[in-house]
Amino acid sequence: MAPAAGEGTFPSPQNPQYGCENMLKSGFRKYLAKKIAWYSLALIIAIALNFFLPRLIPGNPVQSMLHQMTQGGGVASDAMERLYTTYMEEFGLNKPIYRQFIDYFVNVFTGDLGTSFMLYPGKVANLIGEALPWTLAIQIPAILIGWLIGNVLGAMASYKGGRFDSTVFTTALVFSNIPYYCLAILLVYLFGVQLNLFPIAGGHSLGMFPGLYFDFVVDAIYHWMLPFLSMILVAIGGQAIGMREMSIYELTSDYVNYSKALGLRDKKVVRYVFRNAMLPQITGLALSFGTMVGGALVTESVFSYPGMGSLLFSAIRQNDYPVIQGVTLIITVTVLMANFLVDVAYGFIDPRVRAAQLGER
Amino acid sequence: MRRSYFIVAAVVAVIAIGLVTGLFEGNSGGLESPPSGRLKREETLYKAGHQFGPPTSFSPFNTNAAWPTNSEEVLYETLFGYSLVSGQLEPILGKSLEWTDGSTLTITLQPDTKWQDGTPLTTEDVIYTFELGKKYAVRYSPVWNYIADLKAVDDRTIEITLNPDDPHKAMLEDYMGTIRIVPKHIWSQVEAKDGTVLRHANTEPVGSGPYKLSFFSPQQIVLERDENYWGIPIYGTPGPKNIVHPIFKSNDAANLALEKGQIDWSQSFVPEIWKMWEKNLPVGTWYDEQPYHMPASIPTLWINVNKHPLNLPEVRRALAHAIDYAKIAETAVSRYSIPAKSSLIIPEGVPEAKYYSEEDVKNYGWEYNPEKAVQILEQELGAKRGKDGIYVLPDGTRLGTFYVEAPYGWTDWMTTLEVVASGARAIGIDVQTKFPETPVWADHRDSGSFDLLMDTPAGGQSPAQPWMRIRDLMDGRDVPAAGEGTAYRNFGRYENPKVGELLDQAAATTDEAKLTEIYQELNRIFMQDAPAIPLQYRAWEFYEFNEKHWTGFATADNPVAPPQHNFAGVRVYFNLEPLR
Repeated sequence: MAPAAGEGTFPSPQNPQYGCENMLKSGFRKYLAKKIAWYSLALIIAIALNFFLPRLIPGNPVQSMLHQMTQGGGVASDAMERLYTTYMEEFGLNKPIYRQFIDYFVNVFTGDLGTSFMLYPGKVANLIGEALPWTLAIQIPAILIGWLIGNVLGAMASYKGGRFDSTVFTTALVFSNIPYYCLAILLVYLFGVQLNLFPIAGGHSLGMFPGLYFDFVVDAIYHWMLPFLSMILVAIGGQAIGMREMSIYELTSDYVNYSKALGLRDKKVVRYVFRNAMLPQITGLALSFGTMVGGALVTESVFSYPGMGSLLFSAIRQNDYPVIQGVTLIITVTVLMANFLVDVAYGFIDPRVRAAQLGER
Repeated sequence: MRRSYFIVAAVVAVIAIGLVTGLFEGNSGGLESPPSGRLKREETLYKAGHQFGPPTSFSPFNTNAAWPTNSEEVLYETLFGYSLVSGQLEPILGKSLEWTDGSTLTITLQPDTKWQDGTPLTTEDVIYTFELGKKYAVRYSPVWNYIADLKAVDDRTIEITLNPDDPHKAMLEDYMGTIRIVPKHIWSQVEAKDGTVLRHANTEPVGSGPYKLSFFSPQQIVLERDENYWGIPIYGTPGPKNIVHPIFKSNDAANLALEKGQIDWSQSFVPEIWKMWEKNLPVGTWYDEQPYHMPASIPTLWINVNKHPLNLPEVRRALAHAIDYAKIAETAVSRYSIPAKSSLIIPEGVPEAKYYSEEDVKNYGWEYNPEKAVQILEQELGAKRGKDGIYVLPDGTRLGTFYVEAPYGWTDWMTTLEVVASGARAIGIDVQTKFPETPVWADHRDSGSFDLLMDTPAGGQSPAQPWMRIRDLMDGRDVPAAGEGTAYRNFGRYENPKVGELLDQAAATTDEAKLTEIYQELNRIFMQDAPAIPLQYRAWEFYEFNEKHWTGFATADNPVAPPQHNFAGVRVYFNLEPLR
């Protein structure tokens, strides 16, 4: 429960006065309640959009599925009519659209993501479950390590200045501005095709069985390197530039000048600067976790790497509504969650935000 | 600071380990212990070109069942397997098939047929499988149009009585070669549980073929040889101990792997394959020269024949004369097609070529001849060229703009249609290409809301060709008019009562001389009316191999099996030997 969390973690003011603490607590509760209400509304709208947007793509999924089957051969056109009616019924596509929407809505809230049309009778939850780990295996380390290295580099660049700064700055600028999929293509071409150093497709070698044993782990990491590299370079670039600018802003602020004038040691000043500059960077980190599921879609396609990308693309191209809905739902929920956590953390850390949101003075 | 780095590192490590373990959820078919390690190259054959999405079902009743369920008879088997080369149904589970009298088909099973779980496979399983088609909508349900009665004489012999109302022997034989037999003792339980066979994903399939499913994940499907295969005394033992089908995301990745020898046998479209042997790679196809693959299907330009001015046969014939078929074969299909002619019967290679008449094509057909096209427009139709270079009919109708459609991403079809469109515009018919996503294209086709559209009628080769192809292209019976319902064939909505009559006559006879006469007459009607235009005569399945690790693949010079991956084509596995 939210109020309990507030009670447990809210720090006591230095000189606790009963009334004041109560006021703060109730303010935070109100703030939290308001946020929860807004985010729930956003979630419901997003879920509705997830349902309706895929259905705006022209074309009938059952027709497309049957077409796929005739491509496989051995199916005479005689069989089509009966198959068509059967699958329209099986998928519930013969029901009126509002009925389909209610079914979908109820299913989502009971945790049932449905059954894929194109990969029938494969469960959407299983398909996502098989794809998601690969995406996360690239994205989580890329975001975290990219964030760490980027921030350290950025802070160092701003502090050291000179040649180091200009090198870091230009390199970071280049990497953060190349579209990440272009970088991916360049990497494939250079390290995969030209130098033949890394494999260019797949998550592990052909004919190898996944498992927790040395050979496989090494092999999987080998396949993971290039896609990971393409994501982390961009992440480092973006973070380094952000951090550098924040730090420069802090370095020229009054309190730094004042501390320097007071004769504080450099190390101490840098720590303050770093801490203050970190705040927006932490927000950035949280938000990038929000986009991690949907953030590597094209990269996965370029590297033929297993993951959510290929699942979503083929689903869109074949009007596989349940799969599109399932994937976009995961993306929506992670984005909303990340934003929600950032909002809560801000309200928690900074009373001004909370007050402004509640219209209090 | 130090502490927080440590915490971050610990979190990363925990997440990484969690993810890595999460990846290990493979599915190991029916095997007790999950396989681990790396398969030995000299025991493993790598295939490509059949599976591009994650495998979710191994049920022969699912439309999208994963390889090899409905694409190769190594897991589930059919009674017989059609051969592109002999034109015959060759034995698989069945030993012989003969018409014992005019209307009874007697089928005998091979001795000692068994399921992979050791249970004997008998006529009871066969009859059960057929009857599932009556109960549920499956790909072979229409077989019952042709069956009056089906009964087991004993556990090896079945008698099928032809339906006197639709006595179509060729279609019935077609089904004998395409229905995959399933075990009654397993599927009757599925039926009892689900109330249908359609919802069962069958991830631990029990078939009767020489290979069992051993593992699958979204990245690969692995089969393992069944050392107790019932057919060993008859067919021998297949060479590879394992077959692996890696699931590539694109043709390019699969083709590169074939070139490198990581893939041994492929069904993907590999453009300009001869360049690989120019590099001295041990790569091969059925023919070692043009057209490399055996032509077996006819990707066709469908015409909406009820839409003015495309309802005029003269306009359609003019269009047919405007298309550079040799250029299509050369550029769009990478020389894997012989230049298309005006015939619905493939002129060479396949068994149906025996019905082909070169003379009819000369007298009634068409060929690439832009001058003739202009002549038809000007003299037969009295059309005048407008200022924009496009002809206008005497009634004021401009010839175009007509849109010609193919699914987006089918690059060979897209290039073909560019050749069509530029040829048409060059002679004064305004044709523009349009490439929607597959579902949209399928919708336009089925509802009849298109001008021109590319698709392959009635698939590849079977005992019922060219009958099925001609029926699907020209038979107007049971096809709703454009805008009035969904068509499953004859998308151009061509109507000609004579066609139905001739098709019925062909269906009722097995006399080759009479068949030749009927098919040639149908082909002449096609050439005169031009309700559609053949664009390519090309392979139904591509067939490429790399002999870096395995040798013994079939070629035209060494026809140990037909150039197919399915049906009679599975005999290749029994001929393969590892190279060391």
